[in-house]
Amino acid sequence: MDRKLIRPETMEQALTEREKYGRDALPIAGGQSLLVLLRNKLIDPKMLIDLQTLTELEGIEQRDGGLSIGAMTTIHNLSWSSDVHKVASVLAQGASKVGSTAIRNLGTIGGNLCHNEPGADLPPALLALNATVELRSRKGSRNVPLRDFFRSYFETVVAPEELLCGVDVPKLPDGASGVYLKHAISSEDLAIAGVAVVVVPDEQRTNTVREVRISLGGVSPVPFRAAKAESMLNGATLSDEAVREAAEAAAAESDPMTDPHASANYRSKMIKVLVRRAIAAAMGQLERNGNGKA
Amino acid sequence: MAKLNLKVNGEEIEVEAKETALLLDVLRLGLELTGTKRGCETSHCGACTVLLDGMAVHSCVVLAARCEGKDISTVEGLSHEGELSELQRQFLKHGALQCGYCTPGMLMAATALLRRNPRPSLEEIKAGLDGNLCRCTGYTGIFDAIQTCAQGKANA
Repeated sequence: MDRKLIRPETMEQALTEREKYGRDALPIAGGQSLLVLLRNKLIDPKMLIDLQTLTELEGIEQRDGGLSIGAMTTIHNLSWSSDVHKVASVLAQGASKVGSTAIRNLGTIGGNLCHNEPGADLPPALLALNATVELRSRKGSRNVPLRDFFRSYFETVVAPEELLCGVDVPKLPDGASGVYLKHAISSEDLAIAGVAVVVVPDEQRTNTVREVRISLGGVSPVPFRAAKAESMLNGATLSDEAVREAAEAAAAESDPMTDPHASANYRSKMIKVLVRRAIAAAMGQLERNGNGKA
Repeated sequence: MAKLNLKVNGEEIEVEAKETALLLDVLRLGLELTGTKRGCETSHCGACTVLLDGMAVHSCVVLAARCEGKDISTVEGLSHEGELSELQRQFLKHGALQCGYCTPGMLMAATALLRRNPRPSLEEIKAGLDGNLCRCTGYTGIFDAIQTCAQGKANA
């Protein structure tokens, strides 16, 4: 039987279709991952609900010093947005590393998060920014912190009647800097390991930080914040020794898998390297410009 | 089945297709524009690259129904009145192909790149072709052809 394409014209219609068909219909955003899953017959929904017509879900706005990003905003637009570069450069860095040019041209932030494929580049960056997502259904909307959003490989908390509509990135503390590092064999691959770091300096004391945020992708069933490693560095003076110990802790918090791209052991080792490098790069940025960029 | 009104290489065309047909299938099977190649079908290799409103996209992961009202350009649209485009001429001159299977995708990705950035550096060329694989040439001829185009424009 031919698969049907439902093309709602309004958000209200889209949510009605979503409620009506539940798991029989999958929303399609950019389609860059979904159409591959269909082609490989990994999923077989009776219908697709096309979100492309919902232009209200597109766009990036500065709000209260942070960002409000529509779910259908393309990864290309994220990586080139001057607002994103100014307010949350770690997100622009993550976006610029997603897939290839063609994939970034059509892929969306909402699709990237809902697909929740291990090694995706946006989740670590958005976790380090304390982002929340807005989920809407006919019954209302709820805001979910991104750290509670991912459930397991390719699974999220989005219910069959819900749609992810937007992503909110709160304002970063003044002077914060952020870095995303990706390790992959080829640039268009998913990350074997991806690390995002945000460092908030202590203005009073040099080389001392008020807060360090570390998030990891590709090395556990879901992307996550390395809370133990963070707690070892919050308020600390960042000696080489302290950073090395935190990087070891971050690796211990992960639960990496072995797949054709890399072994679990290799992923674990790469986390240690990337966490150290990302913190060093973020500290380097702080030295160069204490101007609130992250 | 659905009727789609597509604009391909400047020409308005009506074509019948399944509701969730892929642009690649509609181009190759529906319109017999077989210059666009079927490769991995999983958005890795770029053999199926076409332009959608000037942007490079992999037509194996694009719903044809979404392309109504947009400009679709395929490799068949690059030449003008039998004259190859400058980029195509440079591909010939630099031997930027061996088996030729990736060439239509390479040409389309490079066309998009040169429109957006008429004088790309070698690094920018590599980044612009990050969605296109070539298993024969080692890419050097392809990079040379594109760089010559870029320089040609710079001197013009």
